[in-house]
Order: sequence, then structure tokens, then C-alpha cells
Amino acid sequence: MAVRVGVDVGGTFTDFVAVDEAAGLSAFKIPSSADPEEAVIEGFRRLLAGGGEVALFSHGTTVALNTLLQRSGARVGLIVTRGFRDVLQLRRLRLEGAPGFHVRRPRPLVPRRDIREVGGRLLHDGTEVRPLDEAEVVAAAAELLAAGCESIAVSFLHSYRNPAHERRAAAAIRRRFPGLAVTTSSQVWPQQREYERTEVTVIDAHLAPVLRRYYDRLEAALRELGVRATVLATKSSGGVTTAAGAARRPVETLLSGPASGVVAAAHLGRRAGFDHLVAFDMGGTSADIGLVVGGAVHTTTEATVGEFPVVMPSVDVSSVGAGGGSIAALDPSGLLKVGPRSAGSRPGPVCYGRGGSEPTVTDAYVALGILGDLLGGEMELDVEAARHACRRLGERLGTGPEGAAEAILQVATATMYARLLPLMARHGADPREFALLAYGGAGPTHAFRLAREAGFGRVVIPPSPGTFCALGCLLADLRADFVSTVYADLDRVPEERLRAVFQDLRREAEGWVAEQRLEVGEVRVGLSADMRQGGQSYEIPVELPPDLGPGLRERVRQAFLAAYDRVYGDPDRSGRVEIVNARAHVIAVTPKPALTWTPGEGAEGRRRLHHAGVELEAVVRARAGLAPGERVRGPAVITEYGTTTFVPPGAFVEVDGAGDLVGGFDA
Amino acid sequence: MPEPLPDGVMVEVLRNRFMGLVRELGGVIRNAAHTVFVKETADFGAYLVSPGGEVFMAPDDMGIFITIGTPMDTAVAAVDDYREGDVYLTNDPETSGGMVTHLPDLFLWTPLFAPDRPRPVAFAFCFVHATDVGGLVPGSVSPSARDMFQEGLIVPPTRLCRDGELNRDLLAILMANTRSPELNRGDLRAQMAGLRTARRRFRELIDAYGTETVERGIEGVLAHAEGQARAVIAAIPDGTYTFSDYLEADFGGSRANPVRIKLDLVVEGSELTLDFSRTDPQVPLALNLTTHGKPGHNMVVPALVNYFRSRVPDLTYNSGMMRPVRVVAPRGSLLNPEPRAPVGARQATMFRIPEVIMGALARAVPDQIPACGGGQGAIAFVAAPEFETGINRVSILQPLIGGSGGRPEADGTDGVDFVAGFYRNIPTEVLENDAPVLVERYGLRSDGGGPGRSRGGLGLDYALRVLSPRATVTCRGLERFHFRPWGRAGGEPGSQGFARVVRAGGEVEELPKIDLLELEPGDRLEIGTPCGAGYGWALERPPELVWEDVLDGYVSEAAARERYGVVVVDGVLDLAATEALRARLRRRPPPDFEQGPERAAYEAVWTDELQDAVNAAVWAYPAGIRGVIRERLQAELARCLASGGVDPAAVPGLAAEIVEAMRGRLYR
Repeated sequence: MAVRVGVDVGGTFTDFVAVDEAAGLSAFKIPSSADPEEAVIEGFRRLLAGGGEVALFSHGTTVALNTLLQRSGARVGLIVTRGFRDVLQLRRLRLEGAPGFHVRRPRPLVPRRDIREVGGRLLHDGTEVRPLDEAEVVAAAAELLAAGCESIAVSFLHSYRNPAHERRAAAAIRRRFPGLAVTTSSQVWPQQREYERTEVTVIDAHLAPVLRRYYDRLEAALRELGVRATVLATKSSGGVTTAAGAARRPVETLLSGPASGVVAAAHLGRRAGFDHLVAFDMGGTSADIGLVVGGAVHTTTEATVGEFPVVMPSVDVSSVGAGGGSIAALDPSGLLKVGPRSAGSRPGPVCYGRGGSEPTVTDAYVALGILGDLLGGEMELDVEAARHACRRLGERLGTGPEGAAEAILQVATATMYARLLPLMARHGADPREFALLAYGGAGPTHAFRLAREAGFGRVVIPPSPGTFCALGCLLADLRADFVSTVYADLDRVPEERLRAVFQDLRREAEGWVAEQRLEVGEVRVGLSADMRQGGQSYEIPVELPPDLGPGLRERVRQAFLAAYDRVYGDPDRSGRVEIVNARAHVIAVTPKPALTWTPGEGAEGRRRLHHAGVELEAVVRARAGLAPGERVRGPAVITEYGTTTFVPPGAFVEVDGAGDLVGGFDA
Repeated sequence: MPEPLPDGVMVEVLRNRFMGLVRELGGVIRNAAHTVFVKETADFGAYLVSPGGEVFMAPDDMGIFITIGTPMDTAVAAVDDYREGDVYLTNDPETSGGMVTHLPDLFLWTPLFAPDRPRPVAFAFCFVHATDVGGLVPGSVSPSARDMFQEGLIVPPTRLCRDGELNRDLLAILMANTRSPELNRGDLRAQMAGLRTARRRFRELIDAYGTETVERGIEGVLAHAEGQARAVIAAIPDGTYTFSDYLEADFGGSRANPVRIKLDLVVEGSELTLDFSRTDPQVPLALNLTTHGKPGHNMVVPALVNYFRSRVPDLTYNSGMMRPVRVVAPRGSLLNPEPRAPVGARQATMFRIPEVIMGALARAVPDQIPACGGGQGAIAFVAAPEFETGINRVSILQPLIGGSGGRPEADGTDGVDFVAGFYRNIPTEVLENDAPVLVERYGLRSDGGGPGRSRGGLGLDYALRVLSPRATVTCRGLERFHFRPWGRAGGEPGSQGFARVVRAGGEVEELPKIDLLELEPGDRLEIGTPCGAGYGWALERPPELVWEDVLDGYVSEAAARERYGVVVVDGVLDLAATEALRARLRRRPPPDFEQGPERAAYEAVWTDELQDAVNAAVWAYPAGIRGVIRERLQAELARCLASGGVDPAAVPGLAAEIVEAMRGRLYR
């Protein structure tokens, strides 16, 4: 028997999902380890205890993210164009958020002492104004290494247009210091805008040694266990790559966890018949929200990781500081605030009985009687302690414990709404046309409440919602993105040049798939461009037809006008059109596991609980016992490993053929 | 309808809903607006406004951060027959009652109705800084405009849309009076789309919570912010705190006296008055700021907003916090000019006022207020003819702002100041694609930050060449070329700003503030922005921090030794030598406010008393002529001062003589 294994390495738990063509899906969580690969290996031991073979192993990991957030990677020395030593310190100037006098600017990843300037200079069209002096570059690198830097990053102005200076600089450094890690900006992400490009370059240089070590150890240990499948890793873009690829370009894997959740949401949503989805991942400390429009995962080039902008395409995930562990407290002026403070997993909510004393969102659900235990009964909860914490809050609000718990949930929901609606508006999306697909430990518990507040008509709870990101790793396709800045007036750029740019991108994309040496199905290369009307300073993304034959410029123009019309309406058809970036992405479809639902045994019961100020008697069902076609009307509580679904009065769920719970509200 | 919520819950729930709504409004505008000001300098705003004209919610994460206190009452009251779906427009500082402060800011608004109320329950407002609205110069902002009519088309509150019908006549007039009709049309369309979204969402809110709850929520969030602000004010000791500072206003090499902004900040219990009665009269330059003396006016109070936010990190972000704040500015003065005074470049004034307020606050709560920052929000433009079309193409070069002052608990921020913190810069790679320039340096000014226990933030160092003949550079809002940002609590002043040209031949020309500068290929333009002042005594700065600054090149080894008494040799910190040197240098601690020699020299001649006397003497004449009289009076006084001294008591007589002479000339 051959299993496909998806793993999501998180801060608290490492989640495993194993899909066996014969035995179906199984999932479990184990506590994460200090060296993250150890928990992965531990999980494989458990998985392979009864024998068997791993057909595919794909995982998402927070190793890159944590390394960046803790700044625990390599000390990077940076070499830049003369006059631009402060590029990382200045950033884009703007202070984020209306400032008080205590505002802090983010500390650059590379301090100024580790940055050197050299004299070569290119113009915006790639022509050379001042030649590069390789001896000067090598001297700068030598100084940086002598000062203690462990890897060198090179970022010169206009290298997106002409990488010659960067390449020569890197070659000269490598000749002088063989074996040294040297990263150039044109190789990491050749896109215009020097700050953003330099930032991803130094992040990549900072992460590379740590990630290489992690993947080396992991692959070695798995080989020892007899796992022969190629190790795959998910990327921020929602695709997967080989471990070797991820180690080579770790900056692309920073947001791999949340991204694979949204990818899984798109896949399962499509299967359940929903093309427009909001993926709602509510965990312990935060709720992550992603958008799926027309079956496609929404990506952004304006993601922020920690304090740094990351301009490579990433699944567009917004985080709200309201999760199960978010703490509710009155501020000095008597307003009830929920989050962003979180009880985390230590001490955790009051009901965990590990020393937490302030009520959390999870405690509110416990106090209302909606949550009884966690991890399918593996974890008992202290109901009385949760009620007590809510009672104390209620005394200050002038309500009972149930009133306080209800208030906590209202505020948490409003906090999510405040973030969710602007996000949807950015894409012209209306909640009424969307389904809310909920996962994460707290997502299914909170989903109907958020759906009602924001106006979602449908709610979908997929199978295995507690380990959904791990499942997502199995559903992701191979994907890579490529960019080339063109920056030209569409009427003046020779058509041959335009064609050459896109042909190069396409060739690069197809070459990437071949390099992965994996068995894949269909390979699709998508071409697009960032374009704008002449004289305007912002670009819109434009999807382009695949045909690069004669008439290309006119097709590109028409595609732009159509896209402009969709976004803003009424383009100036005779006006100038500019093309800023040319892009390609390649998707190689991986074989998907067949997920089927076979109902098993499941206990039934009844429970008294509170909702919206009313005491009710609810049905309690084990999800394992629900059969396709079955309909459960609220008030109901559906329990399973890793999460609990709450169906309020006036709402219902139906089980579809794949085991999804598809919910809605009575008309 | 759900049961009523406890107040503390209802306010927090609705606060979040309002925030979601107003961010959505702002987000639609940001995405769809056409002008470069929106994308690159974030010069736009979104507001939810109560029937009384108070901003009850504004985004705190996009657009400008000077929305709090914007007076919408006059605009709201300008219409008496609001209907569902109406949209109104104005850019008139006068008839909008100081909501608009210069003509390029096109404000739109729409009423928000509930089914069970005859009149609007709230309003959604927004503005975009348009690329151009006509007038003397491209961009419509010229510091030397003499009246508002030179600054572009003026539109008093006018209906733009009713019953789904656009007012095409109005639109035609707007489009006929701008150099950038396509961009303006796109901006207006984006704003209308934003307001449409706001109407729909507000209706959903009413449906979900009921009109009464929403009305209570509006007052609730305002009252909440008010309570937070009152608590902060009440903690300030009662008293009157006076401070003044100057706008140099001598662009283009003018010899006019600097313009004094003088404030008496009065704290009584939980109320605060900003009394600008002793500020200079309005000027015949576009620096006037139309506030109409409105309480808590948004362009006057940013330093207070920053201060409140420093004391209460999760301050509810709306105009309720300005309810306890009164503004006194007599009609005809710099901050409340007569109708149709020139106002376009009022941002220079807007950036100086916070420093005056911080100075006054520092006298009340000394250990809570930073030293003075760079205090400018200048924006440089370059215009050069395009080879292909011959069209003179204008591009933004950079926002040129300074570093912030050192703070009691931390160094100043480098390259950016609190109130100017909303600007984004332009990537050099984008700029060089758009304009025929080669940027040779864009970085921080080493050694410029005022020394102190907390170092002042460094200003910017900017150098470029033009690659096209007949290129012109304009830069509005350069300031502090003479008077340095002042140090606090023993900290030293920051360095002044400068501008110079190194001509192709190598000769260096120091420039006055740039109004319009012609450059030829080969010329190198260098601009330095002012650096923040230091806070606390430099000799008490931990030597390790000075050493770190030396390693990073923010402070030279020489400056470390001379200004901080810290000995670093070849990158190695010598603690013993530092101790010895510091013992030698330590005499008496410097004063609480260190203004620098330039301002001391100026005020030794132009005493406070003399300046008050000049203002009193010219105040009797009508605003339109006041500026001219004042200039001549000051010129005459300058002659007298050079040849001895002047008794302030003699100033009214001198003024009368000058006026007589002027009249005489009229009839000769």
C-alpha cells in the first residue's frame, strides 16, 4: 500500500494527513519540536510503524518564516550602487499606521555597517554610464567577510533590465572566495523597484544556509526510514517545488502554510460546487482569510512578512488578530477588546487549566456549552473555570457569564468583519456571492456566526478541517513564477522585443518544470503583464492570450483595454498604453488523491447550550457518523478530531458525497 | 433584531463595523484613483461623518493621517434637501468652512439614510488631491500666488449627482479648467464608486443593527474618543504654555522677514485651547491656512493627535478626541485668512504648527515630548520636454522630508518625521524611467542629526543630474535653511536644510529655497533636508550607542569625539579615554530648549516685543493691503535697526507714516 503524506509544520503542532487509496484519509497532530525536522521524522515513524510505502511527501513549513522573524539566519553583507547605501534603511519612507511619538521604524535586516557601495552604474534602459570595477567589488566583499558576514548579496540599480554588472560582480567574488554563497537581485527576482528587490534578495541570502541545512537533514533522515519519495515543499504562491528548489530560493516559501490551506480550499470548494470562496482559517492566535474567485486562488505581489514586503506572487492572505486563544478584556475606558493579545498554547485559554486566567474566545464557547472537549476527547476542558472567567467579565459588563461570552464572540466577529470586508472590496467581491469555507481548530466553530454577520449565504466545512493545511500540501500543483521588467510604451517597443521577452519567460517556465524531474500531468504556462495607461502611475494585472505570433502588440493592447474596462470602466482607447512587467507562471498538475467519504460509527447525544441570549437544547453528532445526503438542523454541535462545528438555530448543514458539510441559513 | 448590547460591547462592535466600512471606502479610492498623488504620496482621505459634521471614523492605515478634526459641519449644512444617492462636490476653502484647505483637494460626499428617518443618519466623505485644477502653474500650487484666483477653479458645494444622473454641466466646467482632465475624471469616478459602496454597506449595517443602535454607536464612538482625550488632557498640569517658531518663507531669494507662529496653549482641567492670537497676520504668499478658527481643525492638531496616540495606544480614531480642543485664530491672521487669500502651499504652515504645539506641550509635560524634527513636507518636481512629443512632462522627484527629533526614550526616526510620515517615496528605478534624470545619491545625512542622549533623526541627502536640456526643478515646502530644529532637555539642534548646484564647470552655487530652478545636463543638484534635534545631554549618551552609530557611519569618529566625548579609533571604542574626555567636557548642562545661534541672533534684533508691535500696528489696515504695509514697515525697521535701535513704542507712528507715503504716491 502506498500513501501520500501531507505535513504542515506549525509553531505548536506538526499536522499529518495521510491518504491511502484503499483506507482513505487519516490525520493526526504531534507537538512540534525545537528542531522542526524531528517532529516530521517522528510522525513518519508513527505512520510507517505498520509498514507501507510513501508515494508522495509534500510539506509546508514555518522554518523560513521563523528564521526571518527571529532574524536567526546568516549574517548578510550587501553590495549596492554608489549613493544608495541607505536603501534598506529608507525603505519606502512611509510610517505604517498613523504614528504616535513612540513609532519605531523596522530595523533593517542588514545594518548599514554591512553594506558597501561600488561605482558601476547603468541607466534605466540598461546601458552603462559608468563601468563596474571588479577589483572594487572584491575588495568590498573581502571587507564584509572580514567583518564577519557569512554570505554576500549584490543589488545594483536597473539590474532587472541588465544583469551584466551583478553577474560580473558575483563571478568575481566567487572566483576570489570559492564556495561562498553569493546572491544577486536579478537572479532572485528581476523586478523594478530597488528597495523591494533588494529586500527579497537579502532575505533570501539570510535564509538560504538555514533552509539548506534543514532540508539536508530531513532528506537524510527520511532516506534512513526508507522513504524514497522526493521531498516537496509548498511555496507562498500556493504551488509546490522540490526540496532542492525550496532550499535554493527560500524567500519563495515564507508563507507556505497559509497558502496551502487556501489552495486546498479552492480545490475542495470546486469539488463541492463553489467557485467563489472565502477561505477562513481560524486557529489559536489569529484568523487567516484568503480569497478564491472563479475557482482561482487570489495572489498578490504586495504581501508583507513580519516587517518586510515580499513582492513575489503570494497567495493573498490577511491575518486578523482574533483566534481561539485571543484574550478578551475591558480597556481602561470600558470598551471590550478581543485580541490581539493571545493566550497562545501556553498557558492557553482558561479552560485548558494551565494557568490562564483571562477569558478567551475558546472560553466563551466553552462557557456557552458549545465546546465540551478538544482533539476528539483527547483533551479535557475545565468548563467551570471558563464560566468563572466569563462571569467575572460579565460582572463588569453588567451581564451574566453567558452574556459576557456572547459579547466576546460579537466583538471577535466584528473585528474579523473590519478586516474581511475591505479585503473583499479590493477584489470587487460581494459576500452574498461567496461561500465561507472554514477550517483550523476554531474555524468551524465560528463559521456560521461570521457568515451571518458578513452576509455569506453558504458555509462549507471540509473534511479534516483541523489539519487542513497539511491536506492542502497534497492538493497543490507544481508552480513557479517569473518576471521581467519591460517598461516600455506599447506602441514604440518593437514587436520582436516584446515577443522575445515572453518567449524567454515561457522557455524559463517550461525549463523549470523539466528540472523538477517529477511525474506530472498537464503543464500550463500563463502569460500576463502589469500595464497602465500612459501618464498614470499604477499598473493593473492583465492576463494575456498564449499566442505570441504576429499581431502580438495589438492583442496585448486589447487585453489591457478589456482588463481596464473591468476594473475602472471606460478606458481611453486612443491613449498611450505602457507595459511595465512581463510575467509568466507555470503550473504542472500533480495527480490528486481521491478523497472519498465512508461514514462509520458515531455517537449521538443532546446538550444544553446558550446562543444569542437563549438557552437551547442542541443535537450533538460525531462527524464520523454522518452519511452523505444527511441533513442536520441547528442548533447542533458536530464533533470530530481537531475541531467542533457549531450550527446555530436557523441554520443547517448537509453532508455531500465527499463528506463536506455544506451549510446555509433557513430562508 | 438582536437584543440590545451592553454599551462597552455595542461601541466596540460598531467601531469595528465603521472601521471596515471606511477602510473599504478608502480602499476603493486607492485602487481606482488616477492621480499619482494617491499611489505615490497617499494624498487622499475617506471619512464617515455624523449629522453634526464630526468625523466619527477614518482609516488609520491608509491615505493621509491628518483626517482627525476635519470640520465637515459647514459642508453638511450647505444642502437642505438631501436625497438617497446624492453626491456633492466642493474644493472651496471659504464656503466649505475650512474643510478644504487648498483647491486641488476635491471633496465629495453622499448622505447615508435609514428607512425610518427622514434626514440622513450619517455622511460618507472623501477627497483626492487632484493632479491639476488650473491656475498659474501646472499642479495648481505656487508658493508665490497672490490670491486664490491664481490657484485654479473654485467650486462651492455643488450637486454632482442625483437620481443616478450626473451633473454634466458641472463636469464640463471642471474638465475645461484643468490641465489633466482624464486624470481628474478618473479620480472623480473612483470617488463616486467608493461612496456608492459606502451607501450599500451602511444600509446593511442599519438592517443588521437597527437605526437607533447605529445612531447610538455613532455618538458612542465619538464620546469614547472624547473620553480618552479628556483623560490625557486632564493629566497635563493646568496653565498657559507659550511657544513660537518661524516659517522662513523666503523662497526664490525673497528678503521678507520670517513668519512667526506664536501659540498660547491653555490647559484647564480636561479642556485645551490653542490660542494663535499672537501669530502673524495673513501673508501675500500661498502659506495661509484656512481654518475658520474651527475647533480642533485637522490641519492644526496633528501634533495633538500624535500626542494622544502616544499616551493611549489604542485611541479610538475619530474627531471625538477634538471635542475638548478649541482653536483661537483671529480672522485675517495666518491661520484664518480673509476670503480668497492664497493658500495653495499651506502645507509648509501645516508642518510647522506641530512643532509649535510640541514646544508648548514640552513646557507642560517636558519628559513626554520629543525634540524638534525636520519639520518640512516638501515635494520636488522636475519638468523636461519629451524628445518624442515636445510636451513638457512633469514628474514627482521625491518627497523631501526630514528626520524626527530625538525622543525621551529613543533616537529620532531617520529620513522621516511624525506628521510627514504618510508620504511614500518614489523608487529611483521608476523615476529614472519616467524622467530624464540620473540620481546620484539618495540616502541619509551622516553627522546631521542633533547630538543628544537620544540622537536626532537624520535628514535626507539627495543628488541628481538632468539628462535633458531645459529641465526645470520646482520644490515647494523647503524650510529650515536658517533656523535649526530646536534641541530639548540639553540636546543640540539638528542641521539645517540646504540646496546647491554644482555647475558643469565645477563652480558651486548655494541656492535659496527653490521656487523654479533651471538645470542643464552636467549640472548636479544637491538637496539636504533638515535633521532632527537631539534630546538630552549628548555627554550622557551611552558610549556603546555612539560607537554603534560610528560603525554604521551615522556619526563620524571626529563628531563622536567632539560632540559626544566618545573616543572611537579605527572602529574600536576606548572607554577609558571616553571617560576622561567626558570629564573634561562636562561643564554645565545646556538649556532645555536650544534653538541654535541663527535664531538667537535674529531674535536679539527682532525682539518678541518688536514683532508684537509690528503686528499690532498693521492689524488696523484691511487684510488685502496689510501684507504690503507690513513688508515696507519691516524694511524700514531693518534700516533703523542697522543704524542703532528701535523703540517698539515708535512702531505705530512709523506705520502711519508709511501708509501716508503710500497714499501720497497714489495721488501724485
